[in-house]
Amino acid sequence: MPDLDDVSAAAGTVPATGGVGIVTPRDFVHDQPFTFQSGQSLPGFTLRYETYGRLNETRDNVIVICHALSGDHHCAGRHSPDDRKPGWWDNLIGPGRAVDTDKFFVVCANCLGGCVGSTGPSSLNPATGRPYGISFPFVTIRDMVRSQKLLLDHLGVAALHAVIGGSMGGMQVLQWGIEYPGFVRRLLAMATTSREGAQAIAFNEVGRQAIMQDPAWNHGDYPKDGGPRTGLAIARMMAHITYVSDASMDRKFGRRKKADANRDAYTFDVQFEVESYLRHQGQSFINRFDANSYLYITRALDQFDLAQAYGSLEAAFAPVQAETLVVGFTSDWLFPPEQNRTIALALLRCGKRATYAELETDLGHDSFLLESEDLYTLVRSFLERPTAVEVDFNI
Amino acid sequence: MTRLVEKRTVDMQIIGDWVEPHTRVLDLGCGKGALLGYLMQSKQVTAIGVDLDFHRITACVQRGVTAYQGDMLGFMREFPDRFFDRVICSRTVQELDQPAAVILEALRVGRTVTVGFVNHGFWKNRLAALVRGRKVRNEIYTTEWFESRPANPLTIADFEHFCRAKQIRIARRALLAGNWRTPRRVLPNLLAGYALYDLTR
Repeated sequence: MPDLDDVSAAAGTVPATGGVGIVTPRDFVHDQPFTFQSGQSLPGFTLRYETYGRLNETRDNVIVICHALSGDHHCAGRHSPDDRKPGWWDNLIGPGRAVDTDKFFVVCANCLGGCVGSTGPSSLNPATGRPYGISFPFVTIRDMVRSQKLLLDHLGVAALHAVIGGSMGGMQVLQWGIEYPGFVRRLLAMATTSREGAQAIAFNEVGRQAIMQDPAWNHGDYPKDGGPRTGLAIARMMAHITYVSDASMDRKFGRRKKADANRDAYTFDVQFEVESYLRHQGQSFINRFDANSYLYITRALDQFDLAQAYGSLEAAFAPVQAETLVVGFTSDWLFPPEQNRTIALALLRCGKRATYAELETDLGHDSFLLESEDLYTLVRSFLERPTAVEVDFNI
Repeated sequence: MTRLVEKRTVDMQIIGDWVEPHTRVLDLGCGKGALLGYLMQSKQVTAIGVDLDFHRITACVQRGVTAYQGDMLGFMREFPDRFFDRVICSRTVQELDQPAAVILEALRVGRTVTVGFVNHGFWKNRLAALVRGRKVRNEIYTTEWFESRPANPLTIADFEHFCRAKQIRIARRALLAGNWRTPRRVLPNLLAGYALYDLTR
């Protein structure tokens, strides 16, 4: 669940030069009925997406990026020259970068159920002329992947060189490998899990309750600019804490107080910088995210349990043909290293090619967005290694 | 090639001779994946390496060697009996906190376990310790005691005693002279510089 508002703060500033430059999102309109895993269906859907780089002649130099809970399709470049910030994974994606757009054609779509251009609960229901609200079909990780596959078919993609994602994006990566084994060659999942655990569900539930207990939620029926702004902001504040770590928060804020806070220590107004930071996180989130989408996508996360869905993790991974790289981060307490190891171990038990690497960081779950040469080298090595093995005696 | 690198490739070649083609091989302490990369190419094995270090795992990924970053005992406990055709523990055994536990677990998950180590009973090592009265330092073990990991130097006699005590069958052995090339069958604990074993249950 990358924290879009905080990428540059957590990871240092991204250089304005280089990168993929100015990018324009596009819409893929699927005008055939789409049946969700729940059995519910829509007459069609739209996915908003961006692409960087060029599709090669064999149409197989494609890398799909899967975003996390609060992410979107804008993962690299800027929409206009005066954009304050680039896409959320701009440090990783671009010409000469770890995901090299000189070599690969990168596609990233806003997920089904989202609120940044793709069809979701805030979209208008053609039958009523009003937003779907909670009449929108329940969305699963598998639904997200299946809808992305329709986009790739539309783009004429023959095969995927790789699918990459962190957190919820990592779940989609695994689902891609299971659902379309012959279509995907490499899977790169970071800071993720094969099974949303009780703690993660618990945090999601607190967020949902904050939204649903806000009277403005009104059972999901609210105008486009209204809705449970207080509830959504609180959900975001709480979730944000789960994306970082004790150490990184303390380093960033410590007990520092706002300049004017000392005058009045005995009030409940904002005193500590961490409080005002979280309030800012909440406020900026409500201006770009829909509360019902938040409910739907967190539910999709909760439902994700590959072992339960397929009988066992080994049964789930049985069809996988791709080579997998799983990356865990030592300070990630939302999807801890152990849950990432579990994925690689199950794949190996199935006789699949899977590697597990673990990066030591103290930035928590959002570490996968880190500006780290070590991470870049690992990612680049995984993506660019030719299939033939060369012998090298240097140890 | 330096003499050191030459020695390492000798080790690789013997293990390469022992490994059956198209088998599943686990390398404990795989480093940068050189041995597994060689076995993948020469014997078309399915290779998995285990190592603790992120940069070495990255090097494995660069080579196309599948690797797992983490503790080798914890790793092996995740696999059923005889999952691997061969488990290799080449020049790793002297660095282990629990060598017996690792070798016994390797014998559970592997049909054959290959263990290779520098023989600290080799006469030059004995002489160096006797004359200098200091920790052995040579081209393989270059560091001072305070610069190195906790090491647990062992000899051929120590290792074969361990196998007898644990009722581990030595299916094959290669005992090499100080040059790590010439076989040395007479008085190996004194005259062999390097020892390589295939163990089974």
